[in-house]
Amino acid sequence: MSFDTIKMALGALLSNKIRTLLSMLGIIIGVCTVIVVFAIGQGAQKDVADQYKNLSVNSIMIMGNMQRGAGSSSKISADDVEVILEKCQYIGEATAVAQSNGTISYVQESSTVSITGSDNSFFGISNLEAQYGRILTDEDNLQSSSVVVLGSTVAETLFGEASDAALGETVTIDSKKLEVVGILTENGSSGSTMNYDESIFVPYNYAKKKLFSEKSNVMLMALANDVDYVDAAIEEVTAVLRTEHGLKSSAADDFKIMDAGSMVGAAQSSASTLTMLLTLVATVVLLVSGIGIMNVMFVTVAERTKEIGIAKAIGGTQSEILGQFLSESVILSMIGGLLGVGTGQAAISMIENMNLISVTPTVMGVAIGFGFSVFVGVFFGFYPALKASKLDPVDALRSE
Amino acid sequence: MEEEKIIRMENVHKSYFLANGEEIPVLRGLNVEIAEGEFVAIMGQSGGGKTTLLNVIGCLHPLSEGKYYFAGEDIGEVRDDFTLAFIRNKKIGFVFQQFNLLSRLSALQNVCLPAIYAGVEKSQREAKARQILESIGLGDRISHKPTELSGGQQQRVAIARALINDPEIVLADEPTGALDSSSGKEIMQIFLGLKDKGKTVLMVTHTPEVARYADRIIYIRDGQVVDHDYKLRQSDEF
Repeated sequence: MSFDTIKMALGALLSNKIRTLLSMLGIIIGVCTVIVVFAIGQGAQKDVADQYKNLSVNSIMIMGNMQRGAGSSSKISADDVEVILEKCQYIGEATAVAQSNGTISYVQESSTVSITGSDNSFFGISNLEAQYGRILTDEDNLQSSSVVVLGSTVAETLFGEASDAALGETVTIDSKKLEVVGILTENGSSGSTMNYDESIFVPYNYAKKKLFSEKSNVMLMALANDVDYVDAAIEEVTAVLRTEHGLKSSAADDFKIMDAGSMVGAAQSSASTLTMLLTLVATVVLLVSGIGIMNVMFVTVAERTKEIGIAKAIGGTQSEILGQFLSESVILSMIGGLLGVGTGQAAISMIENMNLISVTPTVMGVAIGFGFSVFVGVFFGFYPALKASKLDPVDALRSE
Repeated sequence: MEEEKIIRMENVHKSYFLANGEEIPVLRGLNVEIAEGEFVAIMGQSGGGKTTLLNVIGCLHPLSEGKYYFAGEDIGEVRDDFTLAFIRNKKIGFVFQQFNLLSRLSALQNVCLPAIYAGVEKSQREAKARQILESIGLGDRISHKPTELSGGQQQRVAIARALINDPEIVLADEPTGALDSSSGKEIMQIFLGLKDKGKTVLMVTHTPEVARYADRIIYIRDGQVVDHDYKLRQSDEF
């Protein structure tokens, strides 16, 4: 395809600007959609990764069954931790965690937060560290001390900024006074079910005895010795807890075990399902725009039948005429593709600014979006171009 | 002498087929000879096959039967698009009744088109196009679009386009049909000039005044040549 062919094709496209623009619009929207979809998909994957970044893949969560009307909602308690640590050889660490919500206040400021009652090993299992002060100790737990460790966002809300100035201050949680002993390093996970930045941490025993109601939600967190032992560890814990809880062999478990690996897996697969669905939508958009291009090219061929006749009469070969019409549709879709890439990037930064969902621009989205637009141009431009090249010159000349 | 005949057709038949398969014979065993450098007019009644003959000579139509020699070469059997396009591009220049210029291109660009298909470099083809346009009095109109030109000027651009690749023969189908008589005369003067330069001109026309410029008139009726050297009479009206 020579430079002259491309120049002629460009001239033909420019001679009907509005139509060119309209048929390009489909491609622009299609490519833009692909790019945004990939960014949303990538953003969702990243969200999942953020959400579970404090979870080791070998961690296991044991929760009480929360069946309604089943009497005591859960038999899971801190006592189970000792049994598990004693009897399960695949479990390295385990801790009990009590969770509830409450209001924390300091002078004028107050905030509703998630309250976690935990002991020292919880921080290790969850990969949490103190930026200022310290984390909770076993001693805090044994003595049920009135101390609290704050998540970084909570500290900012109450004290204006997360700093060691907050250490030693007294905060009020549900009318109980506690001393701030530490502030956690900012975790950064956003919008997840476990947002440590917006949580506060008090000793497990203190929480159970003084802060939470009888039936507060208790769960156990345990670490398998190795990722490969997660399944074995789950079986082991199930057996041990059934014995411990005195369940008959016919009775169902009164607890539920989840492992981080499958939770992450499930979240990731739902994120990629989302991506796939959106990709499907984008493909349909591109397909429809391709059919639009094909239609436009057919109209163009019909309109320019006489021109094709002239081209043949003055010595244009079939392949030259094919080339000219094909390059028209390819140029059309390529420019559309480029504009689509531009609009896509603009749309991504707009979505980022709106802060509704997280988006991460991907090179892949741009490559696939643009590649597809060129493919659409070639694929849907070919048949009309072929038809043009095969026209009988005399018939073509005779048309008006 | 065969070498001197640029066109020689023997017993040429050409039929069209309707959609229902019905055969419509247009040329029925036609014989034509045109010598190099000759200016020939083809006359005859409407539907007699004049334009079809021109299209067959111009390789726009394949013939159904018979022999067609172009400059001594048998091209009646050629169906290959590439070869036919080459002949139309380099050996033949077409001039149509309705000019058939591309409206979005300037006069210069229109003239250049066949040279683009011939693969001539831009600077070279534009110089040539400019020179031809100047020689037919359109030197100051080269960047005008066809819509900005008069009919006569458009037809001159079309002639320039037919000449850009230095063809051996110019085929003109009713070249003055859409023009007033003074423009028509100008076109005929250009054709006479071409003849002087040794080009063969073959022209279909209805108009006796136009046909008078030709060296010879071939008269066609019902797809056959009835007179190879028809003499116009005072009473001729077509």
